[in-house]
Parts: sequence; C-alpha cells; structure tokens
Amino acid sequence: MSGYKEIALKESCFRPGSTLCPGCMEAIAFQNVGRASDNGKKTVFTIGTSCAEVSTLAFPNVVAWGRGDAPPDDFTKSFAILHNVFESAPTLAEAVRDVSDVLTEIGALEAPVQVMATSGDGGALAIGLRSLLHTIHRRARVTIMVLVNEIFANTGFQYSPATMPYADTSTTPAAGETPGNLEPPLDYVHLAIAAGAEMVAQVSPAHGKLFVKTVERALECRGTAVLFVPAPCISGWKFEDGMTVELALLGARCGVFPAFVWERGKGGSVKDCPREAAERPPVEEFLAAQRRFSHLVRRDRETGAAVVVPGREADVARLRAWVQENVERLYRLGELK
Amino acid sequence: MTTATAPSHPLPHTTTPAGERYDGVIDLERVKAAHRPLYTARESFTADGNTAAALATLQMWRALIFAGFPITPSTKWIETVAAKVAAQGGHRRVKLLEAEHAVADYLVGAAAACRDLIFPTATSSVGLDHMTETTRSLGASGLGNVMIIDVYRATANFPLCIEGDPSDTLAHRDDGFIQICARGKQQIYDTVIQAPCLGMHPEILTPTMPGFYGIKDSHRSARLQVEPDAEIHAFQDGWIPPCTLPGLINGDTAMGNCVTSRHFQGFKLEQKRRMEQVFEWLPRIGDDFAQRFGRPGLAFYDEAGWPADGAVDIAVVSMGPDFGTFEALRQRYEATRRVRVAGIAMRLLTPFPREAVRRRLARARAVLVVNQAHHFGRGHLTLDVADALDALPGAPPLVPAFAGLGGADVSSATWEEMLDEARAVAAGVLPGAPRIYHEGAAL
Repeated sequence: MSGYKEIALKESCFRPGSTLCPGCMEAIAFQNVGRASDNGKKTVFTIGTSCAEVSTLAFPNVVAWGRGDAPPDDFTKSFAILHNVFESAPTLAEAVRDVSDVLTEIGALEAPVQVMATSGDGGALAIGLRSLLHTIHRRARVTIMVLVNEIFANTGFQYSPATMPYADTSTTPAAGETPGNLEPPLDYVHLAIAAGAEMVAQVSPAHGKLFVKTVERALECRGTAVLFVPAPCISGWKFEDGMTVELALLGARCGVFPAFVWERGKGGSVKDCPREAAERPPVEEFLAAQRRFSHLVRRDRETGAAVVVPGREADVARLRAWVQENVERLYRLGELK
Repeated sequence: MTTATAPSHPLPHTTTPAGERYDGVIDLERVKAAHRPLYTARESFTADGNTAAALATLQMWRALIFAGFPITPSTKWIETVAAKVAAQGGHRRVKLLEAEHAVADYLVGAAAACRDLIFPTATSSVGLDHMTETTRSLGASGLGNVMIIDVYRATANFPLCIEGDPSDTLAHRDDGFIQICARGKQQIYDTVIQAPCLGMHPEILTPTMPGFYGIKDSHRSARLQVEPDAEIHAFQDGWIPPCTLPGLINGDTAMGNCVTSRHFQGFKLEQKRRMEQVFEWLPRIGDDFAQRFGRPGLAFYDEAGWPADGAVDIAVVSMGPDFGTFEALRQRYEATRRVRVAGIAMRLLTPFPREAVRRRLARARAVLVVNQAHHFGRGHLTLDVADALDALPGAPPLVPAFAGLGGADVSSATWEEMLDEARAVAAGVLPGAPRIYHEGAAL
C-alpha cells in the first residue's frame, strides 16, 4: 500500500476539462481513483451512461481521461475507457478482464490489465441490478465503483432505488401531505456480499486515506471488489457548492451512509460512525444542509440550529429510526465472514 | 507479432475520436499457435445448421471466448460449442451470461478489448430483441470482430411460435449489422467462416449477423463438408489484417463517447459509408472462398432459372430454404403455364444490394416478392425491392405476397398460387393488395 501523500503525487488518469459540476464528488472520486490506479499496471475503465459519462467523455469537446497530455510512452501508464449503455459497465469490465486473462494464459499478453467499472446508482441498482449482481456472482476479478448520489441525476434528479426516505426528488416530490420518497432504499451493501463479492466497501473520498487505501485494496482483490461511493450531488440534493466533502463526511458520521469496509473471510467494520445514536451527529444537521429535506428540517435563520418543520416531527422520528437501523445493519454485516 | 499473410490496408475513417496503439503488446502469433484444430483434413458428415455454425466458429483461431445464452432454436449452437471446448481443453472459454442483453454487452467489452479476436454468439427471436439496446451501439461501434449468428424465429410472444420466420432479423435491419441469410447446412458453415472477413475488413469494420431459418435449417440435418482448420486460417488471414485501431488492452483510447448532433451526423455518415463498402468487398471475398474451397462463396443472392438476357415473365424474390421448393417446381411451372420464370433468394439483407437487384430484375415483366415476416405494409423485402427498382424507367410491377409466416412450410401449391397471381400481373392485370398465402390458398 502506498502512503496517502505518495498517492497524492501520482499521476491521475482523470484529466481537467470535464463538465461535472464544480465540487462534484464524482470528480473527486475520479481524481483519487485515477491516482491510486497509477500503479504500474495498464488501466481500463468501463462506464455506463451517467452524469460521469456525459460530463467526461464528450467528442469533439473534452475527453477528460488519460495520463498526461499525450498517450504515454510507458504502456503501463496508458489508459483506455469504454462507454456503453446504463447497465452495462460491470459486464463490459468482466469481458475486458476475461480477454486479458485468456491472452495472458496463452502467453500473448505479458502485462495483464487492471479493470474498473463505473456506474451511477441508477445504472447499477435500478436498470443495471441484473448486470451488477451477476458479474459479482461470477466472481469476476474487477473493481466495480458505484457512485451513489441517490437519484437519477443525469435525467434530472428522479427517484432511484438508493434514494433515502423522505427525500424530495423529481418523481417523489414533497408536496402537500406527501413527504417525498416513502420507499426504503435497497440494501445494496448486503446484496453485493450475498451475491459473492470478495470485498465490499461504502466510503467516499471525504474519508481521504481510507478511500485511497480501499481503492488500492480493491484493485488488488482476487475476486470482485464493489466500492459504493456516497456522492452528494450539488444540484440534486440542493446544497451550497463547496460543501461536498463536508456533507459527505457528515452523512457518513451521522449514520446515513457510514463508511464501511468488508472482506470475505475477514469480516468488516463500520468506520467513524458509532453504533450509539447519542455519539453521532444528529441526522437533522445532515438534513438541514440540503433543500431536498426542507419540508422536514430547516435551519433557523437567527440561531443557525436545525429545526424540525412543525407537523413533521413524526416523519423525522421515523427517519431517525431508519438511520439507526441503517447503522445497526452495517454493524451486523461487519460480523459476517 | 502479426499474421504474415495478412495484406496491409489503409487506415479507415476514424471510428473513435482518440487513440494510440501500442504495437507488440498482444502477440497474435501466440494466440494462433495455441489453437487446437478441430479438423486437420476435409471431412464430410451429417449435421444440423446449429452444429454447422458452431463448428465454423470453433475452427477460427481468433475465437477464444464464446459468450452465449440459450434460446430456442439457437440453443444447440452454445451447447455444441460448450461440448467441444470441454472435450478439447486448452485456453478457450465458454462464457455463460445471465441474459441476452448481457451477452451483447459482453461482446462490446471483449471486442473492444482486443480488436483482432473474433467474438461470436448465437441467438434468436426475442433474444435478439433483448440485445437491441446494445446491438445498436455495436452496429455503430466499428467493432467488426463481433458476430451474432441469428437463428431466425418470429419475435412476438403473443402468440409464441418457436419455428423459424425471419421477422427477428428483419426487425433489426437498422441495428447496423451486416446481415447475411444462409440456407442449407453447407451454406451456413461457409457463411460463418466468411462473415468475419467482411466485418473486420479495414474499410468496413462493421459487426456481422449471419443467419438462417430456425427449425427448418437449425434442427434438420444434411450432409456437411468441413474444411481443415489450417485452410480456414489461411483464408481468413488473407482477409483479416491486424487492426490498426487501438483496442482497450493495446491502446490509449476512449470509445463510446458522447457527441453533439453535428458530429453525430458525421459518425452516421461514416457508419453508412463503411456499410456500403460491403458491396465492393463481399463478392471478392466470395470469389476467393469459391476458388479456395470449390464451393460458392458469399453472394448478394442465389439465382435460379435466369436466361442469359435476363428477360423473364415472372421474377421471384425470396429468401431462405423455401426457395428450394420454388427451384424444384420452377421448370414444371414454366412448361405448364408457358411462361419464363426465374428467381433470386436474397443472401445479403443489409446493406440491401440495390444495384445488383435492379440489374437482375430489370427485364422481368412482373416481380413476385415473397415475404416470410409479418409486416403491416407490403413486407420488408418488398420495400427493399421497390427501393431498388425506384430509379429504373419502366420498372416491372411488384406483386407482394406473404407466405411461410411463423415458419410454416411454403408448399408447392402455395408457390403455384402466388406465381399464378404474378402471371396475371405480368399479363397486364393490376396488382392487388398483399395477401397471405398458405397451403395453396390466399387467406
């Protein structure tokens, strides 16, 4: 494993010029993954249609990928990326892995490649759940990164199976008596473990050291490594830009999406998120920072305190209970080996 | 590092916007050396169409991974491949995916990973439909090293019919694949061998979809002559040079990018240009095949009964094995009705060979087009033939007919009934609306 400082000095395969929102967590994740993958192996990314794709692979505008301004002389630093339809990224990655492996077995390829698939939560957990679970089930030796912004951001912030309860989205609007999304999100961490993943993590670059260390381990994993990256979406969650990392950290610490790393045979652990609710930041602080929850919690203009909207006390109580169950569930999953 | 016999070709128009290729990263000679031959000498035996297609794919040294998902009537292709790969051992893999869509996605990733290998699969009917989202990406991808063998079967599940009519392949005319129809086990085998030479040609770079009728050809057996693997390799190597475009493994590249509408049109223009190169190269590949193996190679269509001057009373346009019934009764019909009758069985469906069809039909007095796939208009084939004849002054009238829907046999009586209607049109009667024929009657 490289040190954090050492990683920061490596050459990322994510280049300037993307049209992702300034401060987008996806760009931060790509920068870090891009550096962590500069490890002496040729890197191939596959990507399903998503914000991340339409904002980084645009011809004749910027293709924000590749190491250096020109293809590097050193093949192991070269980089290739393939986009196909929303749900396809894991299967594409598996195919590249297989071709690389067969060619290596034959002796026709001296330096096998490392392969990472990237999807949004819509691409991986809604339209692409089949693809995700079956690639995991086949134990494909790839890293699958799912950028979880809890919405279909690319099409205008609609509900996704990862949308947290009570969120106001384009298709689960909070209006009148309707308090936004009423469906609990898919337990995707558990699904990935159950499907046969060798390594499953939920961590964002807000936990910088943990994130790059997890990516490095994922790239070395001998089976399928699945990395769910909580990705606060400035436009979809409706928060002030510049707060992305802060919000990701708060969301993890208050129990909405705790940092969690699990490996088959070793078990896992929740990081930086105590089991006891009293020891965690109140979820209202997380909610008050985003206008998608403004029907539940608002910030008092004078005191700055997060205040429950009158009449929504029961909803917020239920949300607190869901957060607690979320934390408990991950602690229990950590005990699985 | 590369196949010594391969000709060099100029770099085609760009199919991806970026790319550097790292020469020598993939040693194709080692791939070729690792091939375990299926046949070392010409052999002849009885086989069904799925087996013929499977054997042809297995004999290619460039085919290392066989992805698939079973669906009637194409299932025996993947079963045969799996059985042979298991028996042979070695490095080849059968990749069983969870759905046809996944197979198509897998083909994209694999073919993009190494553009010099061939990635075949077989499917049918709703299986092809399920692939659609990605087949349309594939068609535009420049990945001519993908081959989807379509075993024809009606697509509708209401009512579900597992016999073979070509409504699946004809519903996918615009996916961007080179679609070639084969009839008979030998032609199936020969077509599958030739298809990658066309798709991977540097000026074409377009995936191929050889196909044949389900049940009638997939499940019925006939004599098949197979060639030694080494001969097939020599033939394919003569047509398939190392790809000069970067793949994901041996390149620094981005594939499948977003484009603006302005550039989208440019991509489509290039895609169409590449597709139309098929008219140039298909006959040459077919001729080379015929010279090497002594059997007819790829052609735009098969012909029956054409006089030297091309002047006939009735020209028949059809496809598939039921054309054989027409061939069997043609001379008797000519004798009893005192008309001249000839026909073509289409082989190249996409791109449709307009010029060749126009030339062939130019001196007919009526053209009977027998469609075997459901269509709410005059029929897929009819529209293509009409398009082909559009620029011909005094073009012969078209007599569109439907027969063999759902894979039903087109009987002699049905052929005669359709020919009688075409004969009347040739004599000056105006063509009526398209009708469905079955067992000698217009329904």
